[in-house]
Formats: sequence, structure tokens, C-alpha cells
Amino acid sequence: MMEIKNNIGRRSFLKLSATAGLAVMANNAFAASPFLKPYVVDNPLKSYPNRDWEKVYRDMFHVDSEFIFLCAPNDTHNCLLKAHVKNDVVIRISPSYGYGDAEDMDGNRSSHRWEPRICNKGMVMNRKAYSDRRPKGAMVRTGFKAWADAGYPRTGANGFPDQKYLQRGKEPFIKLPWTEAYALAAGALENIARTYSGDKGAALLTRQGYDPEMIASMHGCGCKTMKFRAGMAALGVLRIYSLKRFAQGLALLDAYVRNVGSDEASGAKVLDSYSWHTDLAPGCPMVTGHQMLDYEFMVYEHAKLIVFWGNNFVCTKMPDLHWVSESRLKGCHIVDISIDYHATSNKADDVIILRPGTDPALGLGVCHLLIKNNQYDENYLRANTDMPLLVRTDNWKNLKASDIIADYKLADLTHHLKVMKAGEHPTMPPAFQSTAFVAEDIRKFWGDNVVWDKKTNKAVPLTRDECGARYAAKGVESALTGEYEVTLVDGKKIKVVPVFQLQKEYLEEFTAENTSIMTGVPVEAIVDLANLFHKHRGQGIISTGAGTNHYFNSTLKDRGFMLLSALSDNVGHIGGCTFGNYVGNYRQSVFGGFGQYLLEDPFNPELDGRKMVTKLAHYTDDESAHYYNYGDRPLRNGTRLLTDPGHMPAPTKVLWQANSNSSLGNAKGHYDMVVNTLPRWEAIFYSDWNWTASCEYSDIVWGVDSWLENKHTDMACSCSNPFLTVSPITPLRRFQDTVGDAEVPAGIFRAFTAMTGDQRFADFFKFVGTNPAGNPADRDSEVYGQRVLNAGSATRGMVFAEIREKAKRGVPSIFMSRTYPRISGWEQTAEGGGLPWYTKSGRLEFYMDDPRLIDGGENLTVYRTPIDSSHYEPNVIVGNSRAFALMETPEMRGLERMGNSLKIAENRMGRNVILTTKELMATNHPLRPHGYEFCFNSPKYRHGAHTTPIDTDLMTLWWGPFGDIYRHDKRQPSVGEGFVDVNPLDAKRFGIDEGDYIWVDADPGDRPYKGWKEGTPEYALARFMVRCRYFPGMSQGSMRMYYNAYAATYGSMEGARTRADGLAKSPRTNYQAMFRSGNHQSCTRAWINPTNTTDTVANKKVFGQEIIIGMQNDVHCANGAPKESYVKIELAEKGGVNGGVWHIAAKGYRPTYESLQMRTYLKGGFISR
Amino acid sequence: MAKVRNWQLGREMDYPYEENRPGRQVSMLFDLNKCIACQSCTMACKTTWTAGKGQETIFWNNVESKPYGFYPLAWDVKVLALLGEQAQPWSGNKYNGTTIFEDLGMNQRIKGYLPDEMDYAHPNLGEDECLKILDGEGDYIKGPTHKNWGFFFPRICNHCTFPGCLAACPRKAIYKRQEDGIVLIDASRCRGYRECVAACPYKKSFYNDTTRTGEKCISCYPKVEAGLMTQCVTQCIGKIRLFGFKTADYDKINSKQVRENNPIDFLVHVRKIALPIYPQFGTEPSNMYLPPVHVNPDFLSQVFGPGVENSIKQYRNAGKDKELLAALLLFGVTERICDTFKLEGNETVGYDPQGKEIVRVPLTEPVYIRQVKNLKTGAFLTNNS
Repeated sequence: MMEIKNNIGRRSFLKLSATAGLAVMANNAFAASPFLKPYVVDNPLKSYPNRDWEKVYRDMFHVDSEFIFLCAPNDTHNCLLKAHVKNDVVIRISPSYGYGDAEDMDGNRSSHRWEPRICNKGMVMNRKAYSDRRPKGAMVRTGFKAWADAGYPRTGANGFPDQKYLQRGKEPFIKLPWTEAYALAAGALENIARTYSGDKGAALLTRQGYDPEMIASMHGCGCKTMKFRAGMAALGVLRIYSLKRFAQGLALLDAYVRNVGSDEASGAKVLDSYSWHTDLAPGCPMVTGHQMLDYEFMVYEHAKLIVFWGNNFVCTKMPDLHWVSESRLKGCHIVDISIDYHATSNKADDVIILRPGTDPALGLGVCHLLIKNNQYDENYLRANTDMPLLVRTDNWKNLKASDIIADYKLADLTHHLKVMKAGEHPTMPPAFQSTAFVAEDIRKFWGDNVVWDKKTNKAVPLTRDECGARYAAKGVESALTGEYEVTLVDGKKIKVVPVFQLQKEYLEEFTAENTSIMTGVPVEAIVDLANLFHKHRGQGIISTGAGTNHYFNSTLKDRGFMLLSALSDNVGHIGGCTFGNYVGNYRQSVFGGFGQYLLEDPFNPELDGRKMVTKLAHYTDDESAHYYNYGDRPLRNGTRLLTDPGHMPAPTKVLWQANSNSSLGNAKGHYDMVVNTLPRWEAIFYSDWNWTASCEYSDIVWGVDSWLENKHTDMACSCSNPFLTVSPITPLRRFQDTVGDAEVPAGIFRAFTAMTGDQRFADFFKFVGTNPAGNPADRDSEVYGQRVLNAGSATRGMVFAEIREKAKRGVPSIFMSRTYPRISGWEQTAEGGGLPWYTKSGRLEFYMDDPRLIDGGENLTVYRTPIDSSHYEPNVIVGNSRAFALMETPEMRGLERMGNSLKIAENRMGRNVILTTKELMATNHPLRPHGYEFCFNSPKYRHGAHTTPIDTDLMTLWWGPFGDIYRHDKRQPSVGEGFVDVNPLDAKRFGIDEGDYIWVDADPGDRPYKGWKEGTPEYALARFMVRCRYFPGMSQGSMRMYYNAYAATYGSMEGARTRADGLAKSPRTNYQAMFRSGNHQSCTRAWINPTNTTDTVANKKVFGQEIIIGMQNDVHCANGAPKESYVKIELAEKGGVNGGVWHIAAKGYRPTYESLQMRTYLKGGFISR
Repeated sequence: MAKVRNWQLGREMDYPYEENRPGRQVSMLFDLNKCIACQSCTMACKTTWTAGKGQETIFWNNVESKPYGFYPLAWDVKVLALLGEQAQPWSGNKYNGTTIFEDLGMNQRIKGYLPDEMDYAHPNLGEDECLKILDGEGDYIKGPTHKNWGFFFPRICNHCTFPGCLAACPRKAIYKRQEDGIVLIDASRCRGYRECVAACPYKKSFYNDTTRTGEKCISCYPKVEAGLMTQCVTQCIGKIRLFGFKTADYDKINSKQVRENNPIDFLVHVRKIALPIYPQFGTEPSNMYLPPVHVNPDFLSQVFGPGVENSIKQYRNAGKDKELLAALLLFGVTERICDTFKLEGNETVGYDPQGKEIVRVPLTEPVYIRQVKNLKTGAFLTNNS
């Protein structure tokens, strides 16, 4: 039997392996085994003599230590993960299995069905953290340093820095000592604030060509040109949002520069985050007043119908799909609606494929059927929606009681609402807010609505309080249909119509047949869908977002889906609710006490860590990043300015962002920003721990700690689960010369103190990095964290140190929301017969009489075609209504209805044209006659959360079918590459084989950037070349590329050209692209939807219960469409290494290339039974 | 060749060694209705075991999308073709076709083939793809069986009762552990002849050209020895996997004397809802699959044998079958191996071999409705934060 004992102990094992690296070590040990004498084994099924070698794998598995860290990418989850350490290196990462031990303050526990919480991306975070793409400290672009060293000189009459200092993307970075970098940044900010303040600054900006409205909005404050974006703040309450605190604190700089007091001083601008990503479902707050009707995902357990509508849940909500599949196991019916048979389709019972961007039409088609078949609850509509409210046919405003009753006295509203007199404020902190709040002037602006009482046959006022059960108690029977006459107080008689009547009339266009024609969906599917919604009334969930669903018409899609949900009673029930968390992680509002950190008064900070901040101050203004992305200008359509004053952007001179590559490196119209917009900016800072394309174009990259090395405590939440996750301070040493995120603004403020002698700068970040003195591991922002917890309704009573200790064991805490699962809008459905919504009427509002919506033809819930991804005329309203009487047509704005005004993409925003279904189908996209024929969209993917950690080798390798770790084809930019999915029959029409490289070109009027010119380095960089996959599940006429893949930059192109290995990797920064040129953002552009930028739409503040009107970041602000374009394709290079067909396609196992064997296999023909 | 009894074929078959079943057999169950192809299992395995030089294209665990996904390229198409270009016959639960160990040519040990290096180059080929090209711009793919279909197919070594790799190894360096049935390649004995690579019909033996040895999934034995499930199971976020020990030997299976309270035995042998992967290969794989309910049964039967319709029927009825639900909701709730399980009211409970409770989870996650005002803190609670 056994003759030689292969006794490889761990010590000898190590000795045998001279090579560094753990896994390499183990493998070399195998190869090094010299013990090879023959031996006899009778039956290896029975026994084996040489078992000692098995120790190898036991040793490999053994680790020295473990610790918990918080993985916080932008994917909505936030997981406490366990890092396994060997020789001071994190060798692998696993889930904590502590989620079933979480409990709330009442002792309610989550179950272990929440386990395990981790994903493929989390498991490679150590590879990302150890990669050569870590910013190694404070990295400053050489040209920027030269500008600073020269004393920030400006040349010429317009005051721009010389372009020689602004060669972004083309220069090396140097690592500076942190204090030096802080001083340099402080100097630049001071210079820019001073340059653009006052009349002199305004004059310079005028000469630089900025819109006068933008300059006027600054009121002479140079700090308004500085913009800060705190990534997805919910991922890092204290560290990422330190940028917003910084923006607030810049009021001190303004006071210094302009020599004004705290009453006149102003801080900087804070940018939106969630809406910028188009992760906001913008119609949701319009209907409900609430940012998002979301729910925690265990709610799927309670549903009988789940409709994934443009939502690739499988790819984007990975740790929670099991709630759906387990619900299905228990009998829940699943429907998937998308433009393709995609990853989520195989989890559905039925799959509906539709034309891109026609989702709202399909939704309205289902609404039409429910109404036509009387499959809705009239009493629900009367009590909870604006459907019975009367609309005036003379001005298309809601009829108000004061219109028809002389000297009408507004009702005294008390139902879950406190009307605040001038100078009054909501109860503070928000934890103690037991009602909603609204300022008296807004309440007056709202007035009281009127319904037609069928019992008395007259118009009667219906106050905001009279909703839900209180409506029933009022004793009226309000008409939903018909037309009535009322006499105005001036004696004039007018016709009035209930909202429902108008909506019903409009929906007559959306017969199943017309809907089928518009959407491409068979009539049978539309009828079945309506029947499912009816069958499962109150137990249906529409889950939307994060699929191919981000279009310019999203606002109307949301309003339509809400209408469908109201008709099918799927609002606010546990198991019958709508939307889900659309996309992204926006639910920072569960930290209702955020104001303690963000709105502390920099002129009078609370320096006693044991005390709460007693007085909050607002020194910052909200602004949507859409405007800088749109070339730093407001939206004008012909003669009309469509950006209302509350949304007006300031000129951009400074941008500092954290944790958000998508804001610059992967922005829509990225190359237009690089070529046309960035050269007008003067300082770009980025805080990150991975070198992204945003870093490529920055002036200073602040290299911050990875999540594994976190040395500052923090906390995070999720919109889709109930867990409050604290990020523990980890024992892992820092790999680079990095600092905590919040240390950077604190450091710059210390530099301001040094510059100005004003101690208040340094004091403003007192509790970052200085508390208490001594052990660095204890130097964190706990004071700020505890203040936030104390002030918030869902967190009050939690002790930061205690929940941090639990987190260190991998156990999160549970937020104290009203219910588990948290269902937004539950109180509006279930509490006391239904509390008012956060709207002007207190009801779900489907008719919006705001001026911008009336002139835009969107006062009713209507359907507009997509603005670019449509084979037919883009952005037209389908179907007519008398309620469109005051709509402003192109002619009224000085534009031609057809011709150039349609062809120039710019003019499509705000373009109000009405067509019938039949008329629409006779039209074309203006580019269609020119060979453009694909709707091109870019949904999110399972191998990346935004851009985290896609460029990590293992992720890139699995990025679709072209991953090849050895890069047999050296043209490959990385070990994998971006690709587009094309229906094989479509590709063949263009002579394109699978695997070929193709050019993808969008509207030549403005893409890949305005003013492009062949033969220039910019065009070579920006034109999109990509590999083509034959994707049989793609509907014809559509193309898909997964969002997030890293764009080509000047550096990556230089790498591909000069590096021996041919990698598209910057020789200066190690930035790694996934394309040789361009990326999908070569085909996109910035779009701004005017109906999202009113100053009148009611919405609840993110933090607390106050209702405001108009602009609010991430709730009601500009919202674009990162994912739609209309493109043409042409062959660039054959896919084969030496020309010809890609080697895999040639082998007979790919769609349309199938061999006889493969065809037998596909039909199950290798067996008979 | 010996005659061995293969319960998955319903008959005896040829195998180079005498039948010898371990006392208990590691087994992994996969619910394909839950797999999302996130590759978390792949990364869990990769980062734990195969992150070294020479292992760049080696994935002991992978998830491929059927029907166009393969790793390595076309592995199952090629092996099926090796069994014969003609359709191989099943008669009820009995397989009348040939296995990889039968109907051999001269000097042929096993029907197998050695993949080309390039066959491993693109591990995620075919991701998300479906059968049949969508025709037009809109469609209705109505259930229960999708006309266009695709599904995700995670695969590891099957730790077979009659392993092809073990049978093929000329150095007898591959063995099956008696204590748990794990099949291992003795790295110290292997000389890299690659016979196991060619012989394994599932292509889950790999050749490492840096160490010049064969290697394969080790069923995470350092974890299993500690009573824990494997990495690919404990890090599966679709919660599609259950790992444990099948305890029934051939005679007990056939006499239906299996342990009904063992979750693996229950799902495999009592309910027969979990089916073997390509049983016709003849290796009696230990890993078992709950087939995807929306896929054409003809294709599924080619992959999972004759039990497909019965499995799908039971799966679709699970909502009314609490005992089955109790077993299926035990997937992914604990890191520890459950020896037995029990339905208690509306909870499913897993126990260790000593009968000690390991985990208890509800069949439906509870709903808590908290008071509006928290009396301890004075806070007013809301869902509309």
C-alpha cells in the first residue's frame, strides 16, 4: 500500500515556495512535490494510502485573523462583510451571517432568511483595494500645481486661466504631502471665490458667455460657482456627506472674501445625486409629494403578482432576488416587461417584449381596460385621489372654492398637517415631528378644491383634510364623470369637469389595439396583464427601475404606473405597492437627523461634543448636476426660458465629488463635457480610492481609504432593506498614504484657518480626526454620528458606540420605521383611514395644474414618445384632450413644427406636438432616413455597481462573452471589454458577424460631442468602437450595452498605442479602459425635462415632514435620460485575430452559426423517451 | 470492467472498479429557479482556492447560461455526441443508451475528449442568452413554458459515485474519501497526464500548466470537516444551494428506506424533485438540480433525465405543500450543514447530527407594526421618512 508519506507541513510548504503571493505559493508547492515513488491502490473508490497531502488545502484555508467591514458601493445594499487576513493581507471576503441576529429597539428581529448578504463584486473588493489603480495619496495634476505656484494667474479680458494650465487628461500627477495639497486647494478656492464675487466677477462671467439668468442667480457670491456632490450619500453619512458640510462651511470663505457678515454670507452649491443618475422616478413625487414610494424587499413575500417593468432585478438587486423567487415558489405570479428577453425574464411566468420607451403607453393601455371594464373602485378614487376634483375648462386650473364662493375663508387644516405662520419652523429635531408641516403662504397658494356632489347636484368645497376615511364622513358623493357648470364669484359661468372624466377621455386613444400598435405588444398580452391586475387587486407590486427603463418620458411613465396602481388598489399595502426602489441608494432620509451634520451653523458651531446642535442654518443652495452636464446653461426652447428661477444653475468653476465616477467619467455626453465644458472649469477635485475616468480629468485626486482600511467610523442605510449598517474601524493597515474621506475637507478648512487666521474654519470639522487625542483608531466622527441618530425618528434612542460594536460582529441594526417591512405610503393607506399625501390636495394627484405642466401638455397623465430612442417621431404626445388647450406649440415659441426644429435634438426638449396613434406610426425618427435605425440603451449590469469594481480583473473577465484573461487578441483593451448586444438578424443585415468591432454613431448634430471633426485627437478618442454580440433575446431595432464600462481616455489610448502589452491602460495613472475608443456615453447627451423643473409642485423635504414647493435636489429637479439614443452601426474591424470571423462564432456553437450537433442539442435531440 | 449498480440509470453498468459507496456522500442541491448567474459562487471559489498563477482560466465553480453558455466551449454538446449521434433511449426511469464507460472502442478507457486551451478562454460565453431569435419589436412569451427560454446553470465537480476522472487516472492518484465521498486529485502524486480532464464528462477536472498537475473542486473539505457548507453555497446570494450529506445507499434507495428528515434525502429520494445532471453519462453524480420550470421539457430531459415533469409539477405546487416548502426554504439560511430538518408550525428548523438546533426561519418573514410614538424615546415613527 502506501510506500511514501508525503508529509508536507506548512513550514516546509512555505519553504518550498519562494514565490510571493499566497495562492501562487500553494500551487508551487504542488509542483514542487518530489515524492513520486510508485505505489499500489486496489480501488480508489474504497481507500487511498496517501492522505496527508490534504493538509495543503487546510493550510490554504487557514487564516490568521478576520474582521468586519462595510462594503458600500452604489448598489443599494450596503453589506457588512468579513475579511479574512493572512500575513497581513486580506485574502478573501465572505458574508457575516449576522443579519438574522439584527433587532430593533423593540426587540423585533429579522430572520436568517436575509442571509447571506454579499455579492460577486464584494468578494473582489480586496483585489480592487490592492490594485495598481489606487490613488496613492494627494495626487495633483502638474499643470494645476504650476497654476497655483504661479499665483493663479488669469489672462485676457475674460479672466480664464491660461489653457496651458488646463491640459486635463494629458498630464501626469504628482503626489504632494497632504498639508501642502490642502493649502494648494484652499488657495485655489479662495482665488476663485474672490475672482467671481461682486460686480467684477459678474462682468467676467458675462464676458465668458454665461447666461445672464445664471449670473444673476449668484447674487454676487463667487462661492456659488463651487459645486459639491456627495456621491450617493446614503452610502456614507459622515464621510461622503462631509462634502456637503464643506459646502455649508464655505459661507465662512464667502464672509472672508466679500467681507460680509453671517447674515449675508452664502455657502456653495450642493448637487443632486440620485436624480442626476436618473435614478429618481421623477413622476413619483409629482403624484405623491414623496420622494419615492419604495418598500423593503421582504415585502415580496406578501404579493400575489409581481410585475417587473423595465426592471432587470436579477442583475441589479442581486442579494434580494430570493425574496421574489421564494414568493414565486409559494405561488406568486411574475410578469417581466422589457425590450429583451433578459436575465430577469427567466424568473418570470410571462414575459412581455415591447418597443423601447413605450412602457408608459402600455401602462395607460392597461388603465384603459380597467376603466372600460369597470375594474376599479370608485370609492377609493373619490377618497384618496384627485379624480373627483373639478378642473376649470377656461384656464385648465383646478377649480378652487374661492373661485365660486365670495369671500371664501380657507379651511383650517389640521389633519396630519401643521400650517406654520411666517417665522414659524417645524418641530425640531425631526424625530419629534408628529405631523406634516407647511408654510402658511403655500397653504394659501393651494386653496381648497371643489367636487361635484351628486347628492345635492352642486359644487362643494373639499378640503385637504377630507381624504381617506374623512372623505367618507363628509357625506358627499362626488362625481367622477360628467361636465358641470359653475358660476364664478364674478358672475361668469364656466364648465368644469372632474379629473377622472378628462383622464378617461384621454385614455380612449389607448385601446388594446392602439396600445398594441404603439408598443408592439400583442393585444392578448395587454388583456392578460389587465386581468392579472384586476385578479390580484391590492396584492400586486409593480417593480420598476434599473432596467431598460430610463427614458426622457420617465416622469409620465411614473405617473401612468401610479394611475394603474391606484386603479388596482396597489398603493401602500404590505404586498400591494408600487415602484420599489427605482434605482440607486437614495434613502438617506431614514437618517432624519442629518441636519445635525449638514446644517450646523459654521459661524457658531457647537463645540461641545455632548451637546446637540440647537440652531440649523441653510447656507447652501441645491442645484442639479444636469446643468453643468448640459454645457452650463439653462434650458431654453425657442423664445421660452424653461428653467424656473428656483432651479437656475450658477456658472461652474469648481467641482468636487466623492465616490461618484458616473458624474464625470461616465456622464451622459461624457466627451462633450471633456471637450467643450471642462476647459471652462478651474478646479476639479475628486475623492476616491480607485482611479476612475473622473480622476483622469481632475486637478486633485484625494486618495482616500478603501472600505477595507476604513479608519473613520461611518454609517449607511439602504432603500431596499431595513438595516442600519455602521462601518466599523478596521484593523487593517493602510496600503497607501491615504486618509479618511472627511479628513480632506477638514484639512482644507485647517488650511483656511492658516490663511485667514479665522479659527472657525478649523472648528467646523472639530470632531473629524481629533477626538479623542491619542489612539488613531478612535479618531472618528462619532460625535456627529450620535447627533444624527438622536435627531432622527427612525434612529432616536440608538447609541452609536453600541451599534458600532454590533457591526464589528457583523450584525447590523434595524431602523425604527413604522412597519417592518417599511412601505412608503403605508400611513396614507392604513393609518386612521388614510393620512393625506404630501401633495397640495392631500391626495394622489394625476392632474397637475402647474403652469409648466399646462403649457407642456402634461397636466393630464399622458404618453410621450421617447426623446431619442424611438423609430418614430420623438417626444410627441400621443392622443388628444381638451385639457391641452393652453399647450404651447413649437410655433408659439418661435420654432418650426417640422423641419429643423425637430431634427435638431436640442429643440426636442419642451417640444409640444400631438399625434394620434395612426399619425405617429406614419412618422419616422428624423435620422431614420439616414441609416440610423437602432434604439440604443444602456441598463445596469450584474458585474458592476455603477463603476465599482468593474475594472478589477476577475470582474472584467466575466463581463459578458468576450472576457479572455490571456488576451489572445491583443486588440482587447483589457482582460475583457465592453460590448453591444444586437439581434443577430439585425447585425447580419449590416454584414456584421458576431465578435466584429463596430462603430456606433448617434446623432451627428451633437455627438460624440458638439463640433466634432474627423481627424482630430478628440474625435479619435470619442468615437465609439465596440464589440458586437449576437444576442437572440434582443428585440429587433434595439441595441443594448451594459452601463458602467470604463470609457476610453487620452491616457488609455496612449497606453494602447505605446504599451508592450497593448492594454488600454494609462501609462501615467494606470487608469484602465474597457474600450479602445469612446464608450456608450459617446452616444448619449444631456437632456433636461422642463416639467421636472417647476417652482410650484409640492413635495416633502427629504429630511423631516415639511412640505415645500418647487426645487429640491433628488426630489423635484432636472431629470434627464442617460440611457437613450438612436444610432447607426457599421463594421470597423473583423472579430477574428487575423481578420475573418471571431474564432468562437466560427466553431458552430453560437446563435445563427449552429452546427448540426448544436441544433440537435438545442432541441433536446440527444435522447429519446 | 466491473458491473456496478447506478440508481440514476435504473440498471447496472460497466465501471473499471468495483462499486464502493461511502458511508455518506456530500451532495449539493441547486434550485435553478432561483439562480441569477451573479457568479458570486464563482468568485467565492476563485478567491478561496484558485487565485494563483496557472489558474487564470480555471474555475472549479462556474455558472453558465443555457442554452448557449458553456465552460469550456460546448462541453456537453461534445460529450453527448460522443455517446452516439443517435438519440440515446430512456425507457421510463431506465436508461437504455450507453454511458461513457460502455460501448468502448479498442484501447479506449472512457469516452471523453480533451478540450482545447481556447475552449476555456471565454468563461461567460452565452450569458443571459435565450433559445430562438426574437422576431420583431414586441412579443408575448406566455408561460408556463417559454417559447424563448434561457436559464442559469451553476456547475461544480459532482463528486460522482463512479467518477470518470478517477476511472481514467493512470497513476490512481484520484480517490474518493470514505468518510464523505469527496473526490480528490492527490496533488503530490499527479503527473499531469490530463486523462482526468479528458474523462470527466462535466469538464470539472482541470490542468494547471504552471504546476503541471491536475486539479479540481475539493468540496471545500476543510470546511466540511468542520461541519460547514462549501464556499459556493455559503456565498450564494440567490440562495439556490443546499449542501449536505446524502445518507442512503443503493439498497435503501431502492427499498425506499431513506431518511425523510434529512433535507437532501428528502428532496432527492423521497420527493424526487432534485434530479441528477446528465445521468446518462453514467457517473452517478452526487449534485442534484431542481430544473427550471419555464423551460422546454425535452431539453430539460436531455440534461436531467426522466424526472423532469414530476419535478416541475411538485415545484409549481410547493405553495400548497408546506413540508416541501420547509425543505426548500432551508436553502441559504445557515453556514452549517443540517443533518435533519423539521417543519414546526410556520417555521422550518435545521438540526446538526446531535439533534441540536442550528437555524430556525419563518416560511414568511414576519410583519411588525410599531407604535406611532415610541414611548422610550419620544420619537414619532413613520414610513415616510
